[in-house]
Amino acid sequence: MFKQKLTRVFWAGWTNFKRNSYVSFGTTGVMVLVLLLFLSIIALSFLSSTVVTSLQDKVDVSAYFKQQASEEEINQVKGDLESLAVVQYVEYISRDKALEDFKQRHAGDALIQESLAQLDENPLQASLNIKAKESSQYAAIASFLEGNRFRTLIDKINFYENEQVIHRVEGITTGLRNGGLAATLVLAVIAALVTFNTIRLTIYSQKQEIEIMRLVGGSNWYIKAPYLIEGAFYGIFAGVVALLVFYPVAFAVSPKVAVVMPSVDMFGYFTGSIIQIILLIMAAGVGLGVISSFIAIRRFLKI
Amino acid sequence: MIHYKDISTMYAGDFMALDGINLDIKDGEFVSIVGPAGAGKSTLLRLLTREISPSSGQVVVDGVDLAAVESDSIPLLRRKIGTVFQDFKLLATKNAFENVSFALEVCGASDDEIQNDVPKVLGIVGLGDKTQNFPHQMSGGEKQRLAIARALIHRPRIILADEPTGNLDLVNSYDVLKLLMKINELGTTVIMVTHNRDLVNAVGRRVVTMEKGKIVRDQVEQGKYII
Repeated sequence: MFKQKLTRVFWAGWTNFKRNSYVSFGTTGVMVLVLLLFLSIIALSFLSSTVVTSLQDKVDVSAYFKQQASEEEINQVKGDLESLAVVQYVEYISRDKALEDFKQRHAGDALIQESLAQLDENPLQASLNIKAKESSQYAAIASFLEGNRFRTLIDKINFYENEQVIHRVEGITTGLRNGGLAATLVLAVIAALVTFNTIRLTIYSQKQEIEIMRLVGGSNWYIKAPYLIEGAFYGIFAGVVALLVFYPVAFAVSPKVAVVMPSVDMFGYFTGSIIQIILLIMAAGVGLGVISSFIAIRRFLKI
Repeated sequence: MIHYKDISTMYAGDFMALDGINLDIKDGEFVSIVGPAGAGKSTLLRLLTREISPSSGQVVVDGVDLAAVESDSIPLLRRKIGTVFQDFKLLATKNAFENVSFALEVCGASDDEIQNDVPKVLGIVGLGDKTQNFPHQMSGGEKQRLAIARALIHRPRIILADEPTGNLDLVNSYDVLKLLMKINELGTTVIMVTHNRDLVNAVGRRVVTMEKGKIVRDQVEQGKYII
């Protein structure tokens, strides 16, 4: 009996969707735009988080040790730092490694190479490169180093030179995160409202039909269910169309994004997570369609 | 079968649509309710389907006090009654077969019952060859016959016809009347609200005349349209 009813409401929903083709086309069209907006939000959030991560990756703090500091002592400082919860990793760069890196970096500069060759001793200092989990934690790391038992061996901590840059990066990343979240929320609410109103208008156009079904003795559930199914169909079709439009656009735009941000592979991100994206968009489409239909039809069932 | 006891119905703006109505309708009767516009005829019918509730008094249908019917059970009440409206109230997006089958579906009929009964009833009202037509592809008379088929399909004990011929020409009006009389002969109680003097006189059964929300005349047998 239940299966029979379910089959009937499913077919009634599908028939409504097919027969009201103009209305269905319009409603699905609006939902396609809404879902494309969702996909754009996902793309923007991916880009902004990539920008945030790459900015944060560029920031670190280095502690330069005096010439007399032994490797053992430096490693003890390294161990102290690694025991801190805020530290992501600490990299030790010995004097020899620093010189080698320097030579490599300036391999094409004959003057520098010549000058280095004339020196008897390695002029560079050993250092610890410290990467914090969050850019806001560098100040804490710097003050930890200030209070360290081997402070006398440390020549300088470059946090103080980089402090302004670190604060600026921190400001930008926080702004991007909060701004992105706020924009996502606002756009999501707008999208939901547009869908809701479109479906409400669609159901309003069938207000008389609903009234008749009530007068003929249709129960609320029996009247409501086909409209919920119809709402789900709007969502499914809109989801399919939105994905079919979005992926080619992402494919076309991705190389242009890579010009500005070489490390970013936008299309790769969307193909890599294609299953999640399909599920998300279908769920958003069906959810929006069904919930909007549910809310819209409630008004007309009070006859 | 149907009892109206001291019914008064007040609409917004203090308009008294029904004023102290007492009326008993027996099982199997054919009752024509006549009167000028605004006399309260349609209000009397709308009380039976709980589209509205009286301001005071009691309506009893088949032993059930309608005031005691929970809103969840109103669909069940409506399934016991077949209703025919002046403006047909057909489902525009459904074809003739689906319009009639919907009334059966809501009653929980099986697919087999639907496949058997719907064509039969459509045949009875003369629409056997128009099962796939949509309301907009039908004439006024055909639409009203379709509405009657829908009202009949679940074999209700009561048929309410609110101005069933109001939008029809003379020939179609008589066709509809004949159908209603045939239904009544099979034992269904029929209550018809109408302005059509000729139809009421042709029926020659009980006629209740209303004016300003009151019953001013109740001719139980061989009634005539007198205003």
